Amino acid sequence: MSNNIKYWKGEEELNRDPQFLADQKREFGEALPLDEALSDEGFELNSNRRDFLKYFGFSVTAVALASCYKTNVRHAVPYLVKPEDVTPGVANYYRSTCGGCSTGCGVEVKVREGRPIKLDGSKDSVLSQGGLCSTGQASILSLYDTERLANPLVKKSETEDWTTLDAEIKGKLAVMKATNKKIVLLSNSINSPSALRAISAFKEAYPNIEHKSYDAVSYNGILDAHANDFGKRAMPHYRFANAKAVVSFGADFLGTWVSPVEFQADYVKNRRPDAEGGMSVHVQFESTLSMTGTNADHRFPMKSSKELTYVATLYNYIAKAKGIAQIPVPNNAELAGNAIEKTAKILLKNMGKSLVVSSSNDVSTQRVINGINMLLDSYGNTMDIVNHSNQFVGSDNDVNETLKGLANGSIAGVIFYGTNPVFNHNKEWSAAIAKAKLSISFASTNDETAAVCQYVCPDNHFLESWSDSEPIKGLYHFTQPTISPVFNTRQAEESLLNWAGALPSVEKDPLSDKGILSQKFEASPYYLYLHAFWEENLGEGGYQKALELGFTDSKAMANTSEPMIASYSGNVAELASEISKAGNDDLELVVYQAVALKDGSQGNNPWLYEMPDPVSKVTWDNYVALPKSLAVKLGVDKDDTVNIEANGVKYENVPAFVQPGQANNTVSMAVGFGHTHAGKVGGSIEKGFAPVGFNAYNFMNSTRNGVVANVKITKGSGSYNLAQTQTHHSIEGRDLVRETTFGAWKENNKAGNEKAAPHVYTIWEKRDYRKDGSPNHLWGMAIDLNACTGCGSCIVSCSIENNVPVVGRDEIRLRREMHWMRIDRYYSFVNEKEGKTEEMTRENDIDAADAGDKGEYKHWENVEVIHQPMMCQHCGQAPCETVCPVIATSHSSEGLNMMTYNRCIGTKYCGNNCPYKVRRFNWFRYNDNDAFDFHFNNPLGKMVINPDVTVRTRGVMEKCSFCVQRIQEAKLKVKREGGDMKDVNVETACQRACPSNAIVFGDLHNPDSEISKLYKNERAFSVLDELNVQSSVKYMTKVRNNETI
Amino acid sequence: MNNLFRRPERVWYICSAIIDFVNLDMKINRLRVWAVALAFAVTTPILAEEAARSAEEGKKLYEANNCGSCHALDKKVVGPALRGVHERRSEEWIVQWVRNNKKFRESGDPDANKLYNDYGGAAMNIYENLSPADVLNIVEYIKTAPAPKAKTANVAVAGAASDEEDPSTKYILLILVAIFAIVLIVLARVRNTLKRLAAEKNPEEFEGMAEGLSWRERNLPKTLARMNPTVLGLIVTTVVALPLGYFGYKFAIEEVGVQKGYAPTQPIAFSHKLHAGELEIDCKYCHSTVEYSKSASIPSLNTCMNCHKGVQATEKYNGEISPEIKKIYAALDYDPEALPGKQFGDNPNPVRWVRIHNLPDHVYFNHSQHVVVGKLQCQSCHGPIEKMEKVQQWSSLQMGWCIDCHRNTGIDVANNNYYAALHDKAKKDLDENQNHSQYFGPDGKVKITPAMNGGLECAKCHY
Repeated sequence: MSNNIKYWKGEEELNRDPQFLADQKREFGEALPLDEALSDEGFELNSNRRDFLKYFGFSVTAVALASCYKTNVRHAVPYLVKPEDVTPGVANYYRSTCGGCSTGCGVEVKVREGRPIKLDGSKDSVLSQGGLCSTGQASILSLYDTERLANPLVKKSETEDWTTLDAEIKGKLAVMKATNKKIVLLSNSINSPSALRAISAFKEAYPNIEHKSYDAVSYNGILDAHANDFGKRAMPHYRFANAKAVVSFGADFLGTWVSPVEFQADYVKNRRPDAEGGMSVHVQFESTLSMTGTNADHRFPMKSSKELTYVATLYNYIAKAKGIAQIPVPNNAELAGNAIEKTAKILLKNMGKSLVVSSSNDVSTQRVINGINMLLDSYGNTMDIVNHSNQFVGSDNDVNETLKGLANGSIAGVIFYGTNPVFNHNKEWSAAIAKAKLSISFASTNDETAAVCQYVCPDNHFLESWSDSEPIKGLYHFTQPTISPVFNTRQAEESLLNWAGALPSVEKDPLSDKGILSQKFEASPYYLYLHAFWEENLGEGGYQKALELGFTDSKAMANTSEPMIASYSGNVAELASEISKAGNDDLELVVYQAVALKDGSQGNNPWLYEMPDPVSKVTWDNYVALPKSLAVKLGVDKDDTVNIEANGVKYENVPAFVQPGQANNTVSMAVGFGHTHAGKVGGSIEKGFAPVGFNAYNFMNSTRNGVVANVKITKGSGSYNLAQTQTHHSIEGRDLVRETTFGAWKENNKAGNEKAAPHVYTIWEKRDYRKDGSPNHLWGMAIDLNACTGCGSCIVSCSIENNVPVVGRDEIRLRREMHWMRIDRYYSFVNEKEGKTEEMTRENDIDAADAGDKGEYKHWENVEVIHQPMMCQHCGQAPCETVCPVIATSHSSEGLNMMTYNRCIGTKYCGNNCPYKVRRFNWFRYNDNDAFDFHFNNPLGKMVINPDVTVRTRGVMEKCSFCVQRIQEAKLKVKREGGDMKDVNVETACQRACPSNAIVFGDLHNPDSEISKLYKNERAFSVLDELNVQSSVKYMTKVRNNETI
Repeated sequence: MNNLFRRPERVWYICSAIIDFVNLDMKINRLRVWAVALAFAVTTPILAEEAARSAEEGKKLYEANNCGSCHALDKKVVGPALRGVHERRSEEWIVQWVRNNKKFRESGDPDANKLYNDYGGAAMNIYENLSPADVLNIVEYIKTAPAPKAKTANVAVAGAASDEEDPSTKYILLILVAIFAIVLIVLARVRNTLKRLAAEKNPEEFEGMAEGLSWRERNLPKTLARMNPTVLGLIVTTVVALPLGYFGYKFAIEEVGVQKGYAPTQPIAFSHKLHAGELEIDCKYCHSTVEYSKSASIPSLNTCMNCHKGVQATEKYNGEISPEIKKIYAALDYDPEALPGKQFGDNPNPVRWVRIHNLPDHVYFNHSQHVVVGKLQCQSCHGPIEKMEKVQQWSSLQMGWCIDCHRNTGIDVANNNYYAALHDKAKKDLDENQNHSQYFGPDGKVKITPAMNGGLECAKCHY
């Protein structure tokens, strides 16, 4: 059945766009314009004999001269005093806490010679469960960002030292304390007990200070709804692992919402067909096609402004079934057919095992959601409000009041800690801050807000800091530094304590008599502060143990004044009047977070810009996502732009993008782009670097609501070519993905995967190393298409591990991205016929549908998606190997397809002959090259390079190596220390990063390994099996649980 | 020497070798060695005769018991300066102190206890193995030892300074060579012109020249002179070009980028010959990571200080600390005069050693693999390192060199569990195929080489 479905990667492929067709015929984007360069004057192609002799002579002489160089003298500088636990050439791993966003996952930091070079999820942490998102992975590069402030800044006097700054600030604080002028410390969500203690010490010293917090992307609705219904302003801890039915209204919980790594890991536990208790059902209602939406079994387009009507209707169906009073809801009939009724049925079938979530920032909507979850017995099962989440605690009211107070002068001073409101809240902040008598920012770069503050006190990067956090009540994570501060920065908490005069003295530094050799950060005053606090609470040595583990589960620490049982006191009926006000059919804008950049706090991180968006596969830009119907109406086509105006903000010539799955009458745009003070990569007006994309936060302003009404859109006059990778490396028309339904799978585990491997006639004996019982390893990989959510964490992890360069927007436009792995995203149309979901199978079906629905393009609103990670398949009989004229790519006795850069002469034949299109060519030297001014072009950025992997140069091919450096390291460890390779788990970088454990890697010659078992699974198939290339990567057929409606 | 001329960069080496040869410093060094030897040869018998107590015996004991590691004659080191000790203390006191200073102190001697306290409570070792006569011999040696000459230290420093090559010398030499070459050419031409003029005057004497015959016709034997010039040209070219081409090929393959023999001057003249050779310190004591890491690592300076806090080679420098050891102290900002227990200072200055072994970046090499798993000796690749005063790159580090070893060296599969399956397979194969088994090395011996286990595959070293 699978091979009947028409899969397509993008509109250009679906419509057989001429440019697309032309591109497909050429392996590598555009060739270098050699003819053009050579046809310049003085470089005539028709040169005569004398020219030939001239060039010949010159070349010979040049080569001869070039080879007569004196080899550079290279130096080796050893430690003066080697720290005991550092062995040059061997990595150390430290547990810590990720600071990429407020979620605070537990991480393991890989440190080589004192440099952190890789972040991975800690396997024991509840929040990461071994995986880590792309944003978290990439946050290591923010440590080595040249835009970071090297010194504190006193703007007025242009001095740059802490003593002057401290003296000035203390003086101002003292004056303002004496005159009782109000100062607000505006932070993001803080759940660190010691940071909160530091803040209260600060407040104690200066009673005129108030602490307020807000989040760039607000969760205020959820918090306030719980304050109303449970008497506790907190966000429940969602337990997707317990949910067999998940219904999400707009919440992209796998990509960006609250704690995506934890949610992915938990969610996927129920997504495999052989999961205990069966596969879960996932229903998604949303406007824009989110990454979570692409993974849903049933997805319904929804106008976000009408969400309250949707959830109220759902409430009514459930209430009706339970015999509880319903609430009046207008125009019930309009909503997505009978989708809601069916959804209610699924939920009722899974009482106590279901979970309904919503991303809405509207308190009423969230209160109805609470009501639904209460009726479904979710609290205590799939939601935990007792041991609630502390990850997001910000308040919209707080930030709006602060802005108002600053503007009208009732607040005289402001301190920004982890916040950048000029960028992510409201433009009016600039003027308001200018009025303040005292404005301080703890930003580590001179960001939009810091740029208008009087003082900037750069905070340490989280990899340089001591800290703790309580992301879930009673669960404490710890942060320890893995590098001495790179710059003259100081942890914000230390600054606060310093100004409060509450800093513990370091006179008795136990390490001081070691002079230069003491690890200075260990003796930092804030460490002593933290150490004393935790020794007191965890007992002697308890802090050390907790640091080793990275977290501690200490119920004893929990605040006992909070009730252990939360009781529901909400009343959905009160909301009737609100519900009646629900939205209309006008065009609206939905503002969302992109999976890579999230809230945009890492606005200068090239890895995040270069990572293709999981759904649209667009890099390096945000865009206005349009539904097909609107695009047709506006006459917007590929490379066109639109002018968009809403909430008093107008952007012209914003790139437009037709997003399949976008609900009609909605458009959407990602936040996090459009920085004006980020730096070289993300845009900086003062330094002359154009912003990347447009700042969509401006549409929200103080409403803090992701749904913006009254949007005006017209076609723009300009044209803009988005750097989009979706149809690069296309393998058109072939049977690449396989899928089935849960019902069919239950009957036959081979469903969807019936196509037998082709019978192969061969005159050759099986090669020795592939025979069972051969003493070598045979490496293989299996990827579960059911577990893969498409999040792209593996892509970033692979790039970090393997020193994959960033190439930038222009190169991607020319199809020259260097990522060793990509995630192919396939769309297919679904048709609801007679209550049954049916895939459209043939192109003329689609054409007929296009023509048949009078400009509504309903089928474009609802598409199904499969994500398929694609990297070198390490073919047993590899087509690339046979065509290489210099044997630069060859086969190993362990089943690896080896790529030897130093042999490669760059013919690109291998890339031409690769059926999977996974080979990448180095068109340029991407390091030390001003044309590629990313982290490979400065000494600081190069600190992140993995010293065990070659940095490739111009003119060679490269591709996935199955992380051969990790294989070799693991083998060597066993050889050196004895033991058995069977007990060793070699993990590739992509596998290690994957939050949903979709990737499994191992030795096929070990019959007990997980990989050997997966190879025998009925769902396992090889892509392009018919070519008999004997790939070493198997995929597990995608199973959709979409029959229950 | 022949080898030297085959590489462009070697031209520099040759020049510097010439400079080295005439180097003042070398001469001084040699002179110094001879002078010292001579002085000893002359003075020793005289001294021996003079002293009733044997100063010669005392010197031997002084060295055998490593007195010099804590004492110097003229300088306070760990312990006090020893010259004139016989004037400060009675002989009886010295004997008691040296043989067992602890007992002596406990007996309540005020001088002994004061001395102990003055030196921060750092106790001297107990030398009960020395008889009182031995101690007195040592005192005799101290009494008679020659006083330092102020100038010697300066010579040593000057010598060290001249180690650094002056690049201008090279250029002057090259310019001189060029000038001489030009003069030679000019002279040759002048001679030719004169000859022609002479030929015009006396045609009989200079046969053929006046008739305008070419150089070939005049000078070559008749058989060659009659040959077709093209054929002759080809023959000459072949004769010249073939060896040149061979030379060029060999040069390109074996020499370009190969730094075999590279022995740069290091910032500290550390001698492997002394430490690894004479003192027989285990390589792994300093290169401590060699069994765990890809890098054997250049030891950090605190490793040096394990010994060199005490060992200051003052005996070789007349009570002064060795200038090379002083460099360690300077790097660590360590004050040898400071009381014991004090660590290093706040103004360190790391040592920039010159890297000798430079593998290209695209090669992965792991020391621990070869030392622990491969059980290779350091000398297998680094040569007789224990005999090198100045370390040089012993092996070519070319890929062919790696491959040769991977083809020929056996792995100890029997004692490594990792290779159990491979070992079983090999045993089976030998049983079944006897002499036709694939497990014979190139030398005809039964072995499993890295090559047989995929050790020649690209991605074992290149990734």
